[in-house]
Amino acid sequence: MDFITLGGNLLGTVPLGDIVLYVTPFNLFLFAVLLGFTLLIGLSKPETQIEATMHYLNNTEVKVGSKELKQRRFLSVICGLASAGAMITGDLFNFTLFMALIGILNIGIVSAVKQTSVLNSAFNYGLIAMMCSLPLFGGAAIILASTGTLSLAVLSQMSATPMVVFGAVLMLIGILGESGVAPFFASKAEMFRTAGSPYIVIIHLSSLFIIVRAVEILLLVLW
Amino acid sequence: MRIGVLWNKLADPKNIPRLFAFSLGIILIVGLIVPLALNPDQLYVRPDPQQQIDEGLPLAPYDRGGEPLKEAGDINPQYPENAAVLGMITGYMSPLAEWVSSISPYFGTSIYSSPGGLIDEILYYTRGFDTILESSILMMSFIIASWLSINYTMNRKNDSKEIKKDVARAVNDSAHLAREVKANDAKARSKQLRRDN
Repeated sequence: MDFITLGGNLLGTVPLGDIVLYVTPFNLFLFAVLLGFTLLIGLSKPETQIEATMHYLNNTEVKVGSKELKQRRFLSVICGLASAGAMITGDLFNFTLFMALIGILNIGIVSAVKQTSVLNSAFNYGLIAMMCSLPLFGGAAIILASTGTLSLAVLSQMSATPMVVFGAVLMLIGILGESGVAPFFASKAEMFRTAGSPYIVIIHLSSLFIIVRAVEILLLVLW
Repeated sequence: MRIGVLWNKLADPKNIPRLFAFSLGIILIVGLIVPLALNPDQLYVRPDPQQQIDEGLPLAPYDRGGEPLKEAGDINPQYPENAAVLGMITGYMSPLAEWVSSISPYFGTSIYSSPGGLIDEILYYTRGFDTILESSILMMSFIIASWLSINYTMNRKNDSKEIKKDVARAVNDSAHLAREVKANDAKARSKQLRRDN
């Protein structure tokens, strides 16, 4: 499948050497939504939570400290920018690099929290993110070896060989693990159980958008 | 095993890396039987490994020809129109590299092969954006690691709430132990009493 069928008319390209970012209405929409959301995150204040205590009347307030806030806001803004970049990139290897950047930022956003259960699941997610670099980069390398190109514009014109299908499956499992789709959801879902909502939500949102974009890329490569 | 037990296991973060590693392993094993069909006409193409060695070139297998700033080397990018002067410094070698390649036929296999031009041209010219992203991944991990090492979030030593909880647990444990000892004592006593009578 090519760009026109999936995303509408090609509005333009941003040539950066061999990496050509391309803009269709579909990609532009995803890009603009993420940029707008990133702006909102940069400006907004984090939520606070009230923890109730069983059998007693003393409730505790869970707040985001100022040091923690700065670190988490910075990492969330970078995470938003990285996800926005992944929406318009036109290069397979570039996409996997954006993916790896989002993975490490997701760990960073929750690593500033002080709750043991959250840190524990962030550690488990970190293990998955580390393992994911093998299928992500390996899949891109296998697709490069079997087709001789990494550009999505060229890849969309080629027919899929068994090796390309294998590379795409590898990439898919890397994306599934990194964005925490079922059945690998538990460690990522547990990471959200803490205060500081807009920063936590960008973890969720970046995975959602990455999945949408990954489906488009896999259709371009395989169909 | 009932399916509900399985779902409950999936909801435990501890099991997820194992499950992921297992499924990745299965896919990699399946990959062993996928037929390999390499495309010989690739980006950033290289001649066959033995070809240049048989020709006796000192830079084998990395010789891509070209003369610095005069004649372009053979790199074969995806979009040549986006990199007009590509290949112009591919042939560049530092004086030290030139000297080593003049005395040794194994220069191309060493760590200082492609000393200036080729790697720089791919890393900073045709695929420069990838290099930016790679170094920003590294920078973000350093930022996270340094923040964590300064504000050690796993530190529970000075956390008064945590200390209170630990003390309560310890008191509870010792009370439990004392109760158990007392119960055992009473049991032994009654046994002894029965034996005596």
